[in-house]
Amino acid sequence: MNILADLASTITMGIMLGGLYALVALGLSIVFGVMRLINVAHGDLLLLASYLALTLMTYLGLDPIIGLVIVIPALFFIGFVVQKYLLNRAFTISMEAPLIIAFGISIVLQNVFQILWSPLSRGLTTSYTLKSFSIGALNLPLVYLLDFFVGVIVMIFLHQFLHRTYLGKAINAASQDRRAAHLMGINTKQVYAFAFAIAMAIAAIAGVFVGLTFPFTPQSGVSFLIIAFGVVVLGGLGSIAGTFVGGLVMGLAQTLGGYFLGTNAQMLIAYLIVIVLLATRPQGLFGR
Amino acid sequence: MPEEELLRVSNIDVFYGGLQALWDVSLIVRSGEIVAIIGANGAGKSTLLNAISGIIHPKKGSIEFDGQNIRALEHFEIVGLGICQVPEAGRLFPLMTVSENLDIGSYNRNARSKRHQNLLKVYEHFPILQARKNQLAKTLSGGERQMLAIGRGLMSNPRVMFFDEMSLGLSPIVINELYRVLREIRKRGITAAIVEQNVRRSLKEGDRAYIMEAGRIVLSGDTADLRDEDKIRKAYFGS
Repeated sequence: MNILADLASTITMGIMLGGLYALVALGLSIVFGVMRLINVAHGDLLLLASYLALTLMTYLGLDPIIGLVIVIPALFFIGFVVQKYLLNRAFTISMEAPLIIAFGISIVLQNVFQILWSPLSRGLTTSYTLKSFSIGALNLPLVYLLDFFVGVIVMIFLHQFLHRTYLGKAINAASQDRRAAHLMGINTKQVYAFAFAIAMAIAAIAGVFVGLTFPFTPQSGVSFLIIAFGVVVLGGLGSIAGTFVGGLVMGLAQTLGGYFLGTNAQMLIAYLIVIVLLATRPQGLFGR
Repeated sequence: MPEEELLRVSNIDVFYGGLQALWDVSLIVRSGEIVAIIGANGAGKSTLLNAISGIIHPKKGSIEFDGQNIRALEHFEIVGLGICQVPEAGRLFPLMTVSENLDIGSYNRNARSKRHQNLLKVYEHFPILQARKNQLAKTLSGGERQMLAIGRGLMSNPRVMFFDEMSLGLSPIVINELYRVLREIRKRGITAAIVEQNVRRSLKEGDRAYIMEAGRIVLSGDTADLRDEDKIRKAYFGS
């Protein structure tokens, strides 16, 4: 009975973690789907949101979730400016130029984190981060439940946005046929700026919930980038449903891997699945 | 026949990088007429359309629309003025539904407020699109795709529409249907320019025609006169 309950709670935690991982990967997926850019600074930008929330909490006593009111617009703005003034110009030079700029942003951010917040491990610790809740015999951390629901809500909103608003449809259109989008009167450079801004706003939410769930250091961005890569490779780029399933697979692989192989090897299964899938179905489970 | 001049292209030279694609091209489109731009593959027809649409800017010459010089305007500004291009092969957004594709047609500011009434007209012209409105564009047949491309163009609330190789690869029945709609569209006061390799058809449907060859306009005039022109007969009908 005890083993069954352990296994059930491992699976439940994996699914909930999957919601968070999907959230972590959404921004990466949008930027690649629309601009064909692998944003290697994605994890660091996400971590910037974690550190911003930490600062608001430390100096203003603001709860990280309430702090989203500031953190989301801040990252939206940063995303818009980066795309409009840096990446849009770089795209006219070559395909490699924006990638190199993203690398640059990543390095700069990691050093800024070190200087401003020291290399120590931090966390967004609140009154509810250590609370847990019970379903039957299962005892689960409350933040995991929050992670999952926030992930699902963001995905639903994003789906509605992409299919119901002019801007959302324009983002979709520009990602499918840029020239045809031009002929429809879409200013693709402006649309790209909004797409990057929205990706960053979602990364802001991801960053705050990552911070509530795990401790982080200035180097943590890389691990979230790698998780996001895994999710996106599994789910296929540019598909919200795929990103969700990819997140679930990564979350489950991690918790089950940890359960059967120990915490040191918890990501092993996740990346074995990624490698096998890349070899057999490189467009991802839901790829076009 | 209304004779008011809607679009005037004067002596434009267009380059792709260092390569010249158009030489001293001039063309007039009058309000309410159907103009045919005819030429073989690579004659520069699509380049001319892209210059008019603001996708590529001419190095020399001017393009005036309704008296306004639009040569330096960006493509997204030009669509808003009422110049619409239905590109070759339709270029739909394959992973969007039929109705989403139509919505995107009304993206420009001037078309948004007229979205609903334009949509009704599009469904009137092409009832099949209404029946298929929730289907992904990539699932449509060739003829339906071209209808959707035209419908998407109509959603932009155009004053003049350029149809690039509208009938390419379609069956005669579908082509007849498309031309029937084209005449309907014209009755609603929308000017049309058809860009075709199909010489016979263009000369039949158009009021006036321009013949392009190797980046230049080599001949122009009323289609009735051009049909008898020796040059055309020799070059395109082989007799």
